[in-house]
Amino acid sequence: MTATTVDTNAADHDDHDHGPTKGIGRWLFSTNHKDIGTMYLIFSLLMFFIGGSMAMVIRSELAVPGLQFVHPEFFNSMTTMHALIMVFGAVMPAFVGLANWMIPLMIGAPDMALPRMNNWSFWILPIAFGILLSTLLMPGGAPAGGWTMYPPLVLQTGDAFPFLIFSVHLMGLSSIMGAINVIVTIINMRAPDMTLLKMPMFVWTWLITAYLLIAVMPVLAGAVTMLLTDQFFGTSFFLAAGGGDPVMFQHIFWFFGHPEVYIMILPAFGVVSEIIPTFARKKLFGHDSMVYAASCIAFLSFIVWAHHMFTVGMPLTGQLFFMFATMLIAVPTGVKIFNWIATMWRGSMTFETPMLFSLAFVFLFTIGGFSGLMLAIQPADVQYHDTYFVVAHFHYVLVPGSVFAIMAGAYYWLPKWTGHMYNEKIGKLHFWTSTIFVNLTFFPMHFLGLAGMPRRIPDYSTQFTDFNTIASVGAIGFGLSQLIFVWVLLTAKKGETATDRVWEGSHGLEWTVPSPAPWHTFTTPPKARIANESFE
Amino acid sequence: MDELERKQRIRRTTLIFVAVALAFYIGFIMMGVVRS
Repeated sequence: MTATTVDTNAADHDDHDHGPTKGIGRWLFSTNHKDIGTMYLIFSLLMFFIGGSMAMVIRSELAVPGLQFVHPEFFNSMTTMHALIMVFGAVMPAFVGLANWMIPLMIGAPDMALPRMNNWSFWILPIAFGILLSTLLMPGGAPAGGWTMYPPLVLQTGDAFPFLIFSVHLMGLSSIMGAINVIVTIINMRAPDMTLLKMPMFVWTWLITAYLLIAVMPVLAGAVTMLLTDQFFGTSFFLAAGGGDPVMFQHIFWFFGHPEVYIMILPAFGVVSEIIPTFARKKLFGHDSMVYAASCIAFLSFIVWAHHMFTVGMPLTGQLFFMFATMLIAVPTGVKIFNWIATMWRGSMTFETPMLFSLAFVFLFTIGGFSGLMLAIQPADVQYHDTYFVVAHFHYVLVPGSVFAIMAGAYYWLPKWTGHMYNEKIGKLHFWTSTIFVNLTFFPMHFLGLAGMPRRIPDYSTQFTDFNTIASVGAIGFGLSQLIFVWVLLTAKKGETATDRVWEGSHGLEWTVPSPAPWHTFTTPPKARIANESFE
Repeated sequence: MDELERKQRIRRTTLIFVAVALAFYIGFIMMGVVRS
């Protein structure tokens, strides 16, 4: 029960369609989910390149031992800003963009339930990141205390501090508004025949993600509000000298931070769960178990936060609880990996670019999952903590994990957005260069971490040189590879005309509307029926 | 479900989740107040 199709073409409903307004007003005041989705995706791509250029600074500095290009303080700013921009500016907005474009199309809704709030959700983001990036020019430099903003270190930030706090508040506000919109849309705007368990996996994973967002983004906002009052209003929430507890910040931050990891990966699971059945030409194996597994992961994400801070010195019972709870996550995650493989088993598989990115996702995300399991083992984590092993782990989860899923989704739905097929050869070139270079970048970091190289340092002992040089070459290669994707986008409208269905094995409401999808779709609810009949 | 009812449901769901978000925000700050 993965999806539904309609008997009537949605374009029939568009006879009273009015087109978009002309000029910049179309984008500034847009309440159209497709326009807002496009803006989110373009914004996230821009942030991906800005955050990526900071990664290039980091890797250039680390290519050989010694201080080459930047001052250590600026290096710390680069690691901090790179993380904030990639997490809040690139990965999250990319998934919100995909959600904006695809959720209404997948559930047969004419738009998001709260279109004006949708506009606000987006336009807050450029303001937030404009403020954050402006701190690079401020006295004292940009924030350099790490994206985790631990006190008391973060309180040493110069003039940038209040701007950091304000921009994090704005990012949180945007995410919460977006999440409310997703939930309200899915609950109230589905096609009449689409019961919850008939919803496509992408919609399901986004519904769960939106619940996570509403629960944890206010927690981050609360934490940074307390930082602000500690700095400027004489409170001592986290200041030991005033009776506060700096470790409490870490607890609060990671109560947000761990679900945040799943906020960035659950929609990726959804994208991959749409793509693999299409190119395996089979229905998704165990749709309902995938839903339960995703819900289970979301629940567990709230009770594992302290595995990020095993070294602060917590009671043995606490260490054991967080260790075993973390290991439990492997069970529902294993269900998902099994189901993707079972979907492909004996399928009539073809390997177009979206499928290649999805396959790489399954394989490489699993590597990140396994290293996560290693980090969950408390006695071992004492050794791994704050080393490059951790950097390797979370980059495997986030780059060939989340970013590859975003790429897969972009290639998968691009013909539906533009009405034209992208250049498959160039797409595959993008895939292969990205896959080779991403491994070249991040795999050696496992060895660096195991050998004891600490993270967040601009210089290192000479025994770490070889793997660092390899990682730096890989990073520059990966960065350049992404320019191929820009080329694909720039030439996206030059390919052959796409059909409504686009892919032979695709199914679901989004493939019943014309390509490119008209500005207004499903202005009257579609008559839906269960679609997986075509596979039976 | 007619259009009016849908709008009411949308409004109700929105208010519930705004309240939940505010509760988490204020709740965690209050936890900080109690602990410090």
